[in-house]
Amino acid sequence: MRSIRTRLMVALLTLAASASLLAGLLTYRRVLAETSTLFDYQLRQMALSLRSQVSLAPRIELPPDQGDTDFVIQIWDRFGARVYLSRPGLPIIDRTALGYADLMLQGHAWRAYGLQTVDGVIQIAQPERVREALARAAALRVIVPLLLFLPILGVAIATVVRRTLWPLRRLATEVQQRDAHSLAPVSMARLPQEVAPLIQELNRLLARLETAFAAQRAFIADAAHELRSPLTAVSLQLQLLERALDAEAQHDALTSLGTAVNRSIHLVEQLLTLARSEQPDLSAALAPMALDQVAAEAISDTHALALTRHIELHLDAEPGTLVRGDQAALRTLVRNLVDNAVRQAPAGSQVRVRCRGTSAGARLEVIDGGPGIPPAERERAFDRFYRRANAPEGGSGLGLAIVKAIAERHAARVTLEDTPGGGLHASVSFPSLA
Amino acid sequence: MRVLVVEDDRMIAQGLQTALRQDGFAVDWMPDGKSAAAALHASRFDLVLLDLGLPERDGLQLLRDLRQRADATPVIILTARDEVQDRIAGLDAGADDYIVKPFDLDELAARMRSVMRRAAGRADPEITHRGVRLNPVTHSVEQHGVPVPLSAHEYAVLEALLQRPGAILSRAQLEDRLYGWGEQVESNAVQVYIHGLRRKLGSGVIRTLRGVGYFVPKA
Repeated sequence: MRSIRTRLMVALLTLAASASLLAGLLTYRRVLAETSTLFDYQLRQMALSLRSQVSLAPRIELPPDQGDTDFVIQIWDRFGARVYLSRPGLPIIDRTALGYADLMLQGHAWRAYGLQTVDGVIQIAQPERVREALARAAALRVIVPLLLFLPILGVAIATVVRRTLWPLRRLATEVQQRDAHSLAPVSMARLPQEVAPLIQELNRLLARLETAFAAQRAFIADAAHELRSPLTAVSLQLQLLERALDAEAQHDALTSLGTAVNRSIHLVEQLLTLARSEQPDLSAALAPMALDQVAAEAISDTHALALTRHIELHLDAEPGTLVRGDQAALRTLVRNLVDNAVRQAPAGSQVRVRCRGTSAGARLEVIDGGPGIPPAERERAFDRFYRRANAPEGGSGLGLAIVKAIAERHAARVTLEDTPGGGLHASVSFPSLA
Repeated sequence: MRVLVVEDDRMIAQGLQTALRQDGFAVDWMPDGKSAAAALHASRFDLVLLDLGLPERDGLQLLRDLRQRADATPVIILTARDEVQDRIAGLDAGADDYIVKPFDLDELAARMRSVMRRAAGRADPEITHRGVRLNPVTHSVEQHGVPVPLSAHEYAVLEALLQRPGAILSRAQLEDRLYGWGEQVESNAVQVYIHGLRRKLGSGVIRTLRGVGYFVPKA
């Protein structure tokens, strides 16, 4: 984990320290240059003033230096003999150096000035370290306060960084409080401009999650509620079976128990089918297939139910009607439509399944002679657990919801209409293959 | 005791009818809110078992309408909705009890008895009157400590009369409590049961008010 705070602290403090050092260095060089000019001028002035004294009284003995100045003065006569050395014991400086010169004596740097006079040469030298010491002192005067100020600066930077990053920490706390049960958007109040887009995206994600979770919760609540009815029937018949006193009552209860159990199984199967249809297996890619064959298979699935209800199933399919689809899902779609029709249709009537290519693609139609669905309820008919009053026994209320989910996956449109006889005419329009 | 079952799920309704008849109740069934409202207008019931999620008219609305016209018929809500606020709404709408599906038949019968007992203004589940003791849980009757075997119909007639001593119940009212709609009623059935009861309990227990009906004299 890279901490923005640590990085900012290190970077800012390093920058501050470097700036101090750079300021010191610049001061040092500047002061060194200034003192050099000043001291050079002083050397020359001293030499000039000595020349006037020496020329007036060439033989005057200058007192030896007491050692309290930095300067070394040498005077040579015109024959090259040294007549004066202010600090005896110092090595002899080359007397030929006239004007300014930088010298090395016993490992120390010296600045010297030689002046030709009528009587000889006056030379004044000064150790460079005097100038350097001055420059160093000036540089330290700049650096030391800055360096001393550095810890305070560090604390100040830390405070500023912490304050600047505070919204991030608040966000972290806020986001931490989010879970599947509380997906409220994170507050955008007093957010730094740089963080706002991130939070906007986060809030959008939270909203999408909220919707998805709510849908899931509603589905589970609905499912649990819907399962209660068939399970209540099971429980009732079981208790009646326990109470049954004679063989006839036992037989009745057992038969009803079987029906109730089958109804529960059917509901659970439809719930699973719907869950799968709404969250399709993406690996099951859509491939071209013959819709007429899928319809024939689906009809054979519902054949048994049609027989017991005395419904005649009639398939009118154009061979080679191609659609792009998932075969198992399409079979479920057709089976649900036919199953619905068979359950709704009065005994002895006919359920017709038509399947043909159209200019726009392909169309599958299922037509029954049942009571139909009033126009006002046709939208709601696709809702989960929608069941009409006096709906026939055993329906899960999920058939059309499953049909819709599968149709949406195939980019197909489902419409419900009346038949002239008042029954339901369901059609599914598939897009063309191209 | 005559019970109206209002339930849109045919399988549950049929199971309930079978069980309640075994318990000696006369049961009628209405599959939707509208026909249930019509039935409640037309006849008197001792108890209503009411599902909430009904087609045509919601069960809660049905209950509110019933209470609005000051009909105090005991109502037990029998529903799959188990949220606390659903129960509160149900009880506040005027229900006497609230049972969540799936339920135990014995518990349902116990709660029905409890609700009817309270409706009759009694706290003691057993009814004791002039030496006759009737136990609604076991459907047994004792007289001066001696068990008296009664048929289910005889028991039902005696229970109806003992619930409100002094009140007169007509033959039609007693028939109502014994049979649901569509059940075959012998024209002199009530007279036969009264006769049987008098034979077993003595002629003084049930009196006849000629042309009006039957009653148990107040103590």
